[in-house]
Amino acid sequence: MKRKLMSLLLVGAMTTAMFAGCGSSSDDAASTDNTATTNDAADASTESGSSAEGGKLTVWCWDPAFNIFSMEEAAKVYQKDHPDVDVEVIETPWEDVQTKLTTAATSGDLSSLPDILLMQDNAFQKNVISYPDAFTDLTDSGVDFSQFAAGKTAYSVVDGKNYGVPFDNGAVIACYRTDVLEQAGLTIDDFTDITWDQYIENGKKVLDATGKPLISMQAGECDLIMMMLQSAGSSLFNEDGTANIVNNDTLKVVMETYKELKDTGVLTEVNSWDEYVGSFVSGDVAGTINGCWIMASIKTAEDQNGNWAITDMPSLVGVDDATNYSNNGGSSWAVTSNCQNKDLAFDFLASTFGGSTELYDNILSCGAIATWAPAGDSDKYAEGDDFFGGDAVSAKIVDFATKVPSNITGVYYYEARDAVAVATTNVINGADIATELQTAEDTVNFNMQ
Amino acid sequence: MTKGKKIAMYVFLILASFISVFPLYWMVCAATNTSADVLRGRIIPGGNLLVNVKNLFAAQDIGTALGNSFKYSIVLTLISLVICSLAGYGFEIYHDKAKDAVMSVILLAMMVPFVATMIPLFQMFSKAGWLNSTIGFILPTISTPFLIMMFRQSARSFPHDIIEAARIDGLSEIRIFFQMFMPTMRSTYAAAMTITFMNAWNNYLWPKVIMTNAKSVTMPMVVANLTQGYVTDYGMLMLAVLICTLPTAIVFFCLQKSFAEGITGAVK
Repeated sequence: MKRKLMSLLLVGAMTTAMFAGCGSSSDDAASTDNTATTNDAADASTESGSSAEGGKLTVWCWDPAFNIFSMEEAAKVYQKDHPDVDVEVIETPWEDVQTKLTTAATSGDLSSLPDILLMQDNAFQKNVISYPDAFTDLTDSGVDFSQFAAGKTAYSVVDGKNYGVPFDNGAVIACYRTDVLEQAGLTIDDFTDITWDQYIENGKKVLDATGKPLISMQAGECDLIMMMLQSAGSSLFNEDGTANIVNNDTLKVVMETYKELKDTGVLTEVNSWDEYVGSFVSGDVAGTINGCWIMASIKTAEDQNGNWAITDMPSLVGVDDATNYSNNGGSSWAVTSNCQNKDLAFDFLASTFGGSTELYDNILSCGAIATWAPAGDSDKYAEGDDFFGGDAVSAKIVDFATKVPSNITGVYYYEARDAVAVATTNVINGADIATELQTAEDTVNFNMQ
Repeated sequence: MTKGKKIAMYVFLILASFISVFPLYWMVCAATNTSADVLRGRIIPGGNLLVNVKNLFAAQDIGTALGNSFKYSIVLTLISLVICSLAGYGFEIYHDKAKDAVMSVILLAMMVPFVATMIPLFQMFSKAGWLNSTIGFILPTISTPFLIMMFRQSARSFPHDIIEAARIDGLSEIRIFFQMFMPTMRSTYAAAMTITFMNAWNNYLWPKVIMTNAKSVTMPMVVANLTQGYVTDYGMLMLAVLICTLPTAIVFFCLQKSFAEGITGAVK
């Protein structure tokens, strides 16, 4: 028996040694490889630098009806002046972009990366800080970043350098069923530029008159919490990257407000994203608050045509910098360091997503609303949308976007978000806010170690 | 068994089968409904199947994905069965102390999760130029400890007398394997084939890491593509899930009888 145990231990030790060996050797390979790729890239760009004509760009993004469509439109716009340029879009779900990026960057073999990839804004700083070798600094690429909404651009800035060209808008909108509000004797004006206290008062009226809550949210997620927090310019992190949870007074107000929403029945929680979308598509709730991209889901309920209206979100009470504007979601284009023709990639981005009202007009049909300010002045944006009672929603959203306070995401955004989500669930079930926030901060600090 | 007990048993069984079959039924129904209807919880078949089919084929290259999935899975299953059964047979029939030790190392490897070896594997495959290729897909799982163990267990019940008799009749060792062992162990092969095919078909993490161009996508990757974006078309998604499920379901139903026999390890 003893010998058997001994041999097993030995075998175990051998296997561990084998893997450990693998690890260190791969690290070595990684560092040499990295320099090789960067050199190659540099060579390639000097070679092709003189002639920006011709060439091919590969792009990773994930939604055929949305960002893939937009990228293909951008290619068409660019090809008018540069007929030799080819843009190949490879459909890659966001989680896969993250997995592939992590695999490529940690193995040091960046050759499998495309020229341009789309990145969720919330993950942008995390990836640039974790894998600085994988991205290209775009500060001097010729894209005029001052023309984008400041709160949006901030997501892709690390150490004062721009790493992303902002793409879609995530400005928060509050959507309401005007026909339901009417039954409670309210109109959309009663919900414009209001505070959460007024929102709850109105919500009670709607609940009494129709039995419908004003809003549904996914339990165990904290989208609304994060939107409320950002609306007052507050973040879960400080500038220096340390967690800002326990001493964050805004967060306390947010938690109290959320609890009150839930306790009064104005907000109902559902179990999954599908149920959340289902709740307003089937008319079980009188509205929702989310990033402006939620409009596309609302519009799938064709039978509710004309019964929806859009306005800004409520503001927090008792917080100094409270505004009616926030952001949820959105993404930006990044140029990888594997890009063999950087001048082409720069020129492409600068003259499409950073310089073409034509492009933004073309992609408005798929719901992609610009964060590039000049696009909002176009006639297309001023057109009314019948689904939303003929309101010029696009222009409205561009206006909202310019007023969104910026926030800090950092490397541990998702971990902090999860910790706050857990705290929220416990607070709703009656736990003490201060204790829960302390636990959340401890969890985040533990993750950061 | 009393009548009461029997009724209780049937009620329980009906309930249990309802719980396991309902999701499948719902998947089929959802594939025929519009996205909004699926969200509203409609559980009867609708009339939107053709629209979903049209949308799905317009949105995704289903033909390529199906073709790739079949190609990768079939090649992997065939090669893997030959290799693993040879290994399992060898470990059992010619076993000695050294081979038993090697076997325990192989079993130990079962405990190392794939994600732990993924990054070094990716590095190797990328250097070898095997990204986006069939060989890249099949190589990491071409021989699995589980299958080797399964064939070793079943080789244990293979009568030594047959081997002895065949040797006396002048059959070479390799022919004993192919002409005596393989036909006798049909049910084990069927079980192993079902398992390998399903695993290969449903494999997601590895192909998603190494398949970087649009021409080498597999069915599960297409399904994952459809769940992305701000709006999910649930009718279309369920249709894709249905198409993705059918081949494994068919393989399983065809080999179901042998599968049960093979798992219990019967020699007739």
